[in-house]
Amino acid sequence: MFTRFSDIDRLFGTMDVLRRRLDNLYTDYNRPYGAGWPLEEGFLRANLYQSGDTFEMRLEVPGMDKESLDIKIQGNYLEISGTRDQKLPEGYKIHKTERVAGTFSRSFTLPDDVDSARVEATLKDGIIYLTLPKSEAAKPRQISIS
Amino acid sequence: MDKKTEIAKREDQNIEKTRELYEIAPAVDIYENEDEILLYADMPGVVKDEISVNIDNGRLALSGVRKLETNGVTTWEEFANVEFVRNFSVPQTIDVGKVKAELKNGVLALHLPKSEEAKPRQVEIKTA
Repeated sequence: MFTRFSDIDRLFGTMDVLRRRLDNLYTDYNRPYGAGWPLEEGFLRANLYQSGDTFEMRLEVPGMDKESLDIKIQGNYLEISGTRDQKLPEGYKIHKTERVAGTFSRSFTLPDDVDSARVEATLKDGIIYLTLPKSEAAKPRQISIS
Repeated sequence: MDKKTEIAKREDQNIEKTRELYEIAPAVDIYENEDEILLYADMPGVVKDEISVNIDNGRLALSGVRKLETNGVTTWEEFANVEFVRNFSVPQTIDVGKVKAELKNGVLALHLPKSEEAKPRQVEIKTA
C-alpha cells in the first residue's frame, strides 16, 4: 500500500504526462481534439463555500458579459441561466471550435435559505462571484453553556 | 527531456512535494483569414499577469495560472486553481513581432498575423 503521499503524487504525475502525450497524438494526426480524450468537460462549473452566515458561490462563465446572464433566487433555490453566443469573426475560416456556445441553465439547491434582498453578484475575469447571506432563521446561533 | 525518461523515471528520493497545480487544457477556437490566425482560449479566473504566451521555433505555448482565494468551508467544489496549458504548432510564417493578445472576461484572444511574404497574392494574367 502507499505509505507516502509522494508515491501517489508520482503515480498521478505519470498519468498526467501520459495523458498529455496522448492529447498531442490526437492533434498530430489531425483528429479533433475532443474525439479521443475529452477536454476538461463542463461549462458553468460551480464552487460553494460556507462561512458563518454567508454562502459564497463561484461560477465559471468565460467570455460572458453581465447582460447575457440571469440569476434568480428564491428561498434556497438558485437558478442561473444565460446565453453564450459564438461570434464568428467575419471572413475567417474555421479550424477548431471547442468552446461551448448556446443557451444554458443550471439550478442549485443551497443548504439553507438565503436572504435574497442582500445577495450580491459580481463578474470578474469570467467568473461570477456570488455572496449569499443566509436568512435570519438559518443563521447559526451561539449557544452559551450554562 | 527525453520522452521515455519523463514517463519512466523514478525519483531517487521520494521527497514530499507541496501540492502542485493541475494542468488542464483550455477549450480553444481557431480561425484563420488571409491576414492572420485568430485564437480564442477560455481561461476563466486568470488575470493578465498570470498569462504567458511563448512562440518559439514554430511552437506556440499558452499558459495561464488561476489563483483564486477561497474563504470559508468548502461545501462543493467543481473547479479549483489550475494551470491552463496548451501547445500548438504554428507555421513559421507568423510574424512573431506583431502578435497581439487580449484578455477579456476570462477569454484570451490571440492575433497571430502572417508575415507579408506569406500572404496570398493575386497574380495578374497578362494577355500575350
